[in-house]
Amino acid sequence: MMRPLPIAACLALAFSVQAPAALAQQTATGDADSGRMLTYTCVGCHGIEGYKNAYPHYHVPKIGGQSTEYLVNALTEYRRGTRKHPTMEVQAQGFSDQDIADIAAFLSDLTL
Amino acid sequence: MSRSLKTSLLGFAVALGAGALLAACGGAPAEPGFSGATIASALPAGRIAEGELRANEKGAATGQSCVDCHGADGNSPLDPSYPKLGGQYRDYLAQSLQGYRSGERDHPLMSNQARDLDDQQIADLAAYFASQPAQIRDLHGVHSIN
Repeated sequence: MMRPLPIAACLALAFSVQAPAALAQQTATGDADSGRMLTYTCVGCHGIEGYKNAYPHYHVPKIGGQSTEYLVNALTEYRRGTRKHPTMEVQAQGFSDQDIADIAAFLSDLTL
Repeated sequence: MSRSLKTSLLGFAVALGAGALLAACGGAPAEPGFSGATIASALPAGRIAEGELRANEKGAATGQSCVDCHGADGNSPLDPSYPKLGGQYRDYLAQSLQGYRSGERDHPLMSNQARDLDDQQIADLAAYFASQPAQIRDLHGVHSIN
């Protein structure tokens, strides 16, 4: 006989389904100066004009000037593994929420 | 074992090792004629004018067009969480749409929006938004500014 799900499990399930939409609101205020320091590594791939991934094979996207919200969501999804990319998932796993907010603050401020 | 067989086996092992190393590093400089798992390059050639028409067409699943949410040139997102698309690399845009179509990448709106696109439509849309003026940039030299 199947036991009904405990209330806590049902609540957890409901919140986990809603979580992605609330990603951006959960993060701390970003510090662009800290983000500047954290993004030296990013330049290895995102800082070379015309640079392509080996696999999958396409240009590494331009991310300078994207919004804070977009960048926070992207990094958070890579960290969770809900967005897939071999290199980016590994990179994002090393970042705290504060790191992600800082990186997003620095990158979103960049202009052409 | 003959010398030539040994040499070719050694060559094969070195090539295999180099391939594994590249895959592990996740990046390699662009190489003309590279023929790895090139999802985006398997698409037909993109047509900017057709892409513009498609970008303005309401999607059946969402009732919205690309430009309804991303702006006419892809640079005026309706919601701050939506990316700017204008001037983005064409193959990255195509890869994103293919990812949403296949379910590898997930977004409440984009997954539905991309589900029924065919390869030609994806190539056209990517060509259109890539051709628009850019407000985004790569990170070349950003640490030497101020």
